[in-house]
Amino acid sequence: MQPEVPSYMQGSTRRVGIMTDVHRRFLQLLMTHGVLEEWDVKRLQKHCYKVHDCNATVEKLEDFINNINSVLESLYIEIKKGVTEDDGRPIYALVNLATTSVSKMASDFAENELDLFRKALELIIDSETGFASSTNILNLVDQLKGKKMRKKEAEQVLQKFVQHKWLVEKEGEFTLHCRAILEMEQYIRETHPDAVKVCDLCHGLLIQGQSCETCGIKMHLPCVAKYFQSNSEPRCPHCNDYWPHEIPEVFDPEKEREAGISKSNKKPLRSRQH
Amino acid sequence: MPRGQKSKLRAREKRRQAQIETQRSKSQRSRRAPPTTNTSAGVSCTRSDEGAKNQDEERPSTSQASASTDDPHRTPLDQKAILLVEFLLRKYNMRDPITKQDMMRQVIKKHKAHFHVILKKASELMVLAFGIDVKEVDPIRHRYVLVSKLQRTSDDRLRGEKIMPKTGLLMTILCVIFMKANCAAEEDIWEVLNVMGIYADKKHYIYGDANKLITEDFVQERYLEYRQVPNSDPPRYAFLWGPRAHAETSKMKVLEFLAKLHDTVPSAFPAWYEEALRDEEERARARFASLLRIGTTANVPSGVNLGSLSQL
Repeated sequence: MQPEVPSYMQGSTRRVGIMTDVHRRFLQLLMTHGVLEEWDVKRLQKHCYKVHDCNATVEKLEDFINNINSVLESLYIEIKKGVTEDDGRPIYALVNLATTSVSKMASDFAENELDLFRKALELIIDSETGFASSTNILNLVDQLKGKKMRKKEAEQVLQKFVQHKWLVEKEGEFTLHCRAILEMEQYIRETHPDAVKVCDLCHGLLIQGQSCETCGIKMHLPCVAKYFQSNSEPRCPHCNDYWPHEIPEVFDPEKEREAGISKSNKKPLRSRQH
Repeated sequence: MPRGQKSKLRAREKRRQAQIETQRSKSQRSRRAPPTTNTSAGVSCTRSDEGAKNQDEERPSTSQASASTDDPHRTPLDQKAILLVEFLLRKYNMRDPITKQDMMRQVIKKHKAHFHVILKKASELMVLAFGIDVKEVDPIRHRYVLVSKLQRTSDDRLRGEKIMPKTGLLMTILCVIFMKANCAAEEDIWEVLNVMGIYADKKHYIYGDANKLITEDFVQERYLEYRQVPNSDPPRYAFLWGPRAHAETSKMKVLEFLAKLHDTVPSAFPAWYEEALRDEEERARARFASLLRIGTTANVPSGVNLGSLSQL
């Protein structure tokens, strides 16, 4: 009933991964949601065990995911873990590494739409805040490759990017969706080697963050939160100058869950990144 | 005397070699997996992908050609199958219908003659890795849908979210149907869609041919039912909820969707709220009843674990 994965799909030197319906259901549901927070992922994992194999002990999430990844490796697919740039939530998404460019979006978008994305991406990377205004993006509509696109159409396309979780909109400005960062980080670093910003602490791609006004280094908000936690006199790790920005709080899943229970009847926040 | 570290390691290594050998001789294809780290696969992809900044319009064939340089056992058809899997997964996520034409244009390209082989390989991979079937629902126009082989359960929705990412439009339609006593005339639906800027005779930027989408695609996916109004001449049509809509969402969920649109709560619509509550009760009763049935009868479909009572 649960066929073992054929050898041509298994990871070579590491331990051989076994796929069962538990893992398949997990993957299907993860894909359906696009990107999930760690707490939801753990619930999802438990749910999948409950449905298919309720007597088994639920494997530690990290091992569970590594197991799946070892099987999917030969398809250039993996479950990748990241952290949202604005509030440090741990997130997971299924990313595809077979195509490492905007062409991975080609199944859903026309040539001129893909070019619009590239233009928006450039504006986002070059911006100070990590956000590109709708106006600035739409002004580039004349420079697009492919069929001519009107500004009205471009507005719709931007909404389509949001719907497909490539971009996020916040008060008329656009930035990358956390899933897009996970899936396209490599592509972005390769194609914008000079313009791209990098976090001084974790060395990961940086779209949004805080910067030192003296020496210019940048750090992710969650990296800042962790680095300066309970430090009353935060100083730049590079030039030691006083760090002028408000230090955000480290993300606490427990506190989040309590707040979530009492918040269940309220409108969801628009600025949430998933 | 317990064995020393070295001899244990040697024995382990020997066992592993033996394992690999038997696997190789057992397997039909004796292909080995590609590089162990994703980084190296990714890097070899991009090296031939992008030269200058905006030159990333490369065809996927370029990237996948270099992705295989680390594994000489991968045939070009295998590589295409992998790219087709990526393509199909994106369609699954967005619940889009899939045509052979799309697959040819986007993925298969110059390997058109080998479409069936590539599709077959990709389908196998989809089943093994994700438990998803690629089914041809229209052999004439060559249209496919992706169906999970796994039984749906009610808890598949986390926090009561909608499973259907291709949201607004379908939810709106389900809403209208619900508001019109569970059967909405085709004209009613279009009245609402027109307000949203979606027209039957104009191509919509996100939904494309909206008429086809709601009268064919959603119907095929069993989200909607499209029936002729009896004794209507000229024939008029009406929409009802399809079985998949009943399975994946509920009247209460749809009412919540409507309430959110109007910045209010479901109970603000007393009549519909009543009906939605009754529907919730009915569902709970049905779940409970089938729980008892599974526990007591021996007539269980194969593959269902009797111990797993949450499988409904």
